[in-house]
Amino acid sequence: MSELKRTVLYNAHVAAGATMVDFGGWEMPIQYPSGIVAEHLYTRKCCGIFDVSHMGRLLIEGPDRTRFLQHVLTSNVQSLELNKAQYCIIPNENGGAVDDAYLYQFEEERYLLVVNASNTDKDLAWLAPIVKDYDCRIRNITGETISIAVQGPESGKMLAKLAGVEEVTKPARNNLSILDMEGHQVWVARTGYTGEPIGYEIFLKNEDADWAWKRLLELGARPAGLGARDTLRMEAMLPLYGDEMGIDEEGKEMPIFGLALARFAVSFDEAKGEFIGREALAKQAAAQTAFREKRGTEADLAALPRRVRPIALLDRGVMRHGMDVYYNGEKVGYVTSATMIPYYMTEGEGPDARLLEQTGKRAIGICYIKSDVPTGGQVEVDVRGKRLKAIIPLKHVTNNQPPYVIPVLAK
Amino acid sequence: MTINPDLKYTKSHEWVKEEDGVAVVGITDFAQDALGDVVFVNLPEAGDEVVAGESFGDVESVKAVSDLVSPVSGIVQAVNEELIDAPEMLNSDPYGAWIIKVEQVNDRETLLDADDYEAFCAEEG
Repeated sequence: MSELKRTVLYNAHVAAGATMVDFGGWEMPIQYPSGIVAEHLYTRKCCGIFDVSHMGRLLIEGPDRTRFLQHVLTSNVQSLELNKAQYCIIPNENGGAVDDAYLYQFEEERYLLVVNASNTDKDLAWLAPIVKDYDCRIRNITGETISIAVQGPESGKMLAKLAGVEEVTKPARNNLSILDMEGHQVWVARTGYTGEPIGYEIFLKNEDADWAWKRLLELGARPAGLGARDTLRMEAMLPLYGDEMGIDEEGKEMPIFGLALARFAVSFDEAKGEFIGREALAKQAAAQTAFREKRGTEADLAALPRRVRPIALLDRGVMRHGMDVYYNGEKVGYVTSATMIPYYMTEGEGPDARLLEQTGKRAIGICYIKSDVPTGGQVEVDVRGKRLKAIIPLKHVTNNQPPYVIPVLAK
Repeated sequence: MTINPDLKYTKSHEWVKEEDGVAVVGITDFAQDALGDVVFVNLPEAGDEVVAGESFGDVESVKAVSDLVSPVSGIVQAVNEELIDAPEMLNSDPYGAWIIKVEQVNDRETLLDADDYEAFCAEEG
């Protein structure tokens, strides 16, 4: 067994009383003494900070960098402007996912590709034989840099204060900037994995890690661990490699278009041209559209047998990864991620929405089920031998109107 | 971690207090700390039979589910219904938030006293 890796912030986590666990070969905080529920709620109400330095950070440099990435990623890399980021997937020939990733262009002459911690070595091994045919190279800077996710309604104000500016990036998701914060150079991205309409991921040199962590805490942010990161992303229906993409419970490859957000991650633009998995993905995309328009046929089921969907338990109990889902008495799939997730009760809508003091919790999550199960469909989940009633809702939250994530409760 | 000197303990981290032929059962501070935020408790009903060493329900945290193992055999006299709406009481007050009361107690698991339980927890880390 190889030694677990530690991020530069390891000592800060231990000093804060974090429970440390093995995650993708890294010793990471799963929670701090306040607990997952409090960390989740504080992120939704104010600002949680997450050490995400374990994620793989790869620089792609050289004249052919755009052409290479167009071939190995699903997104249209040519359309990515300076100071912008895009979500993408590293596909294989069958239209399955090697990994999902975020591509950032902070600088004209290189790209930053951020990949899952547990997949970094696999991704590098996958890309190595391909990059040989292009005049560009991949530089792994995971060990020299750190990354902190600063997420929640107050996150922008905190970073703006450190930078002495009004707004750290342009005011929409996927905008980037490079800023001086109290004498430290910080790469700021308006991205995140919590569903927060206001949230950032910052990239720094290792030596600036303690400064950034300490200053954000002083400004009122609180540390949040991998446990809250997981409940936040589940509530926002953001997929996790290994659960909602990769290989399913039967050992079959999960098609990328099983994910609703594949529509935004995969480009068939002419400028992109041929890329790995294009043909398979085009078939999946057509089937996904058919199911979304409620006209899926048997042929569409063959191209896209199952899709990743939200699921909400109506009976009392808790769903967990691996539990079977039934529709009209037939097993249609299984729960991929779920637990009991807390939320703030809210008043009003959109920009006028307000979080109340009262909180609730709900047994919700994500499932991977037969593509033709309709939205609003009543299903049953086998919770340790008991069939409990559940529903396939459209979504668990509304998060397109800052500053707050508004829970959508299943009825 | 706190351990109440007046209680008896199981190796599966339940506490039990027998008074006037009724055994009151809960989970320990060590158990609630290991579970993290408790979000759901699956309780038996009054009148159900419980068997020493066997599961009588389960307790779910955000992270995981864990069986509740009965320290005694007998008949459930009462369940703490406050836990249905406020399972987090098991985190905030583990020795106050009892789970079940058992009557007609006719068998017991091997129970540890407070000192032995403390030593056992230290070994478990």
